[in-house]
Amino acid sequence: MKSSEVRLERLSKEYGRTVAVDNVSLAIEPGHMVALLGPSGCGKTTCLRMIAGLIRPTSGDVFVNDKRMTDVPVHRRNVGMLFQNYALFPHLTVEENIVFGLEMRGMSKADAARKVSEALSLVQLSNFGKRYPAQLSGGQQQRVALGRALVIEPAMLLLDEPLGALDKGLRESMQVELRALQRRLGLTTIMVTHDQDEALTMADKIVVMRDGKLEQVGSATEIYQRPASKFVAQFIGASNLFEGPVEQRNGSGAVIRVSPELSLQVDQLPASASDAMVSIRPEAIIVERAGQASSAQRANSVMARVDQAIYRGFVSHYYLRTPSGGQIIVFEQNQSQQAGLRYAVGEEVVARWESPSNHIIARH
Amino acid sequence: MDERFSGFGAFILYTITAGMMVFILAPLLLVMAASVSDSYFVTFPPQGFTLKWYAKVLQDRDFLEAMRLSILLALGTTAGSLLFGVPAAFALVRGDFFGVAAIKGFLLSPLIFPALITGLALLQVLNKLGSTDARLNLLIGHIVVTSPYVIRTVVTSLQLVDENLEDAARTLGANRLRTFWRVTLPQIASGVAAGGLFAFMVSFDNYPVTMWLANSEYSPVPLVLMRQLVNVFDPSVPAMSTIIILMAMVGVLILEKLVGLRRALAA
Repeated sequence: MKSSEVRLERLSKEYGRTVAVDNVSLAIEPGHMVALLGPSGCGKTTCLRMIAGLIRPTSGDVFVNDKRMTDVPVHRRNVGMLFQNYALFPHLTVEENIVFGLEMRGMSKADAARKVSEALSLVQLSNFGKRYPAQLSGGQQQRVALGRALVIEPAMLLLDEPLGALDKGLRESMQVELRALQRRLGLTTIMVTHDQDEALTMADKIVVMRDGKLEQVGSATEIYQRPASKFVAQFIGASNLFEGPVEQRNGSGAVIRVSPELSLQVDQLPASASDAMVSIRPEAIIVERAGQASSAQRANSVMARVDQAIYRGFVSHYYLRTPSGGQIIVFEQNQSQQAGLRYAVGEEVVARWESPSNHIIARH
Repeated sequence: MDERFSGFGAFILYTITAGMMVFILAPLLLVMAASVSDSYFVTFPPQGFTLKWYAKVLQDRDFLEAMRLSILLALGTTAGSLLFGVPAAFALVRGDFFGVAAIKGFLLSPLIFPALITGLALLQVLNKLGSTDARLNLLIGHIVVTSPYVIRTVVTSLQLVDENLEDAARTLGANRLRTFWRVTLPQIASGVAAGGLFAFMVSFDNYPVTMWLANSEYSPVPLVLMRQLVNVFDPSVPAMSTIIILMAMVGVLILEKLVGLRRALAA
């Protein structure tokens, strides 16, 4: 299958006064898998449907391999699309569902039959051709939908929350499977999801959207480790966010005063900044008993009391409260030998972390 | 209803239901009984048993001619109201244009408008237009009266169709027409059939509109029945009625077998 480059240029969609998608430009490399991630109503699905041709943009264009597709009707765009509710034709068998796209292309019966059986074996449903969708499980139905989308050898694959209706275990194994298949076929794929784990698991590139706009575009590592905005820091994973004025400059970095008991040493800060917002991931924080810790008045270190302690199997969550009332979330990986939580509710502790863990949020 | 009714409530409910059944069916059974009465006037209880009225009716040229006209008219009306009503329903459900609600109200208005007035209005309009062919006028009039039934049932079943199915078909390479034909229509088949059946039956026994638009040359069954009723009220009238009742029953049964009419009517 040949891979396509997909490009969105200043794409917008307005419904009356509501702007669903606001001036979105994005380039997707051939063979990549990109996830449009965001809360419901952020415009990600509208974006996907404009790429498919199901919705006409108010302004802006969609290019595939530098060819302008904006005016090409959906049935001539050759896109494979998966829907959250599978959208299998209930009155047709599995085989008839898969052959549908080939019939629309006027393929001969013999060629089509061969393609269908190839597609069925690709999605591991070779013995299910004669069944009707209602006789299949959710996972099987989505495999049929995948086979139906792939059999037409689409220019790209569009996934609209494709695994949202499956239960957790099946969803995770389908994520890995779908990703492996997509890599093997080298098929440019755009996926819409509100599930950050799904985006992190499957995508080469994650596009975080909010209120119709692009919030941040980057790899999973970039998005997680260097969130560009407060929204991204909070939407992807959990974050401790602190804000305060610059207390002191040291080289290219600075000390940020958050509260009387907490200051942060940041290694890089633009000279023009007079204050800063800093995000610290919960797993970057080390908790120690108050007595063991060395002098408390250091940067990136604070005395606190355990407010809540939650045991989650391989990880424990601690919610700490500083004397001035601030909350700090800490995730600590549990050692296999160790039994249960290391700190009890009410215990006095010291939370500390290394200065590279302090990530400056550029937009807040 | 999953719960079983029991006790006094159930007794009341079943009694009322049975009462309604009798109320609806009794007149029909009465007519059927009268049609086999061996007497020269319609009497109840019937006297004796004979099929001679059926023999008479089936040799009655006027009646047979009216039957032929009515069946052709009802078939034409069904086709016409489906051709008009299905796309109209599609536009009403899928359309996103100004005044959808107002247009819907207008298209369904013949359901609540007195048919007698509709018929008179049609007669005047068709006269003005110089349309003098009674058959054409009847066809137009009947399509006006029956289309709302088709629109109603098709709108209901269209609202239950998952639009993602249509989107999926289009991404797979089907244009709008093929999408409708291959994906949407099979989903709404029962609604279309129900609407078609309504259109046929409403056309077949429509009196108030037919009365205005028919002439002495082209008189559908309801007019002939009425005329017969006024002239000689012998058991041939119930015999004609029984034939029509049986036709309707057969039609309903066939459609039920073909497309599951019950589901469409319940929706």
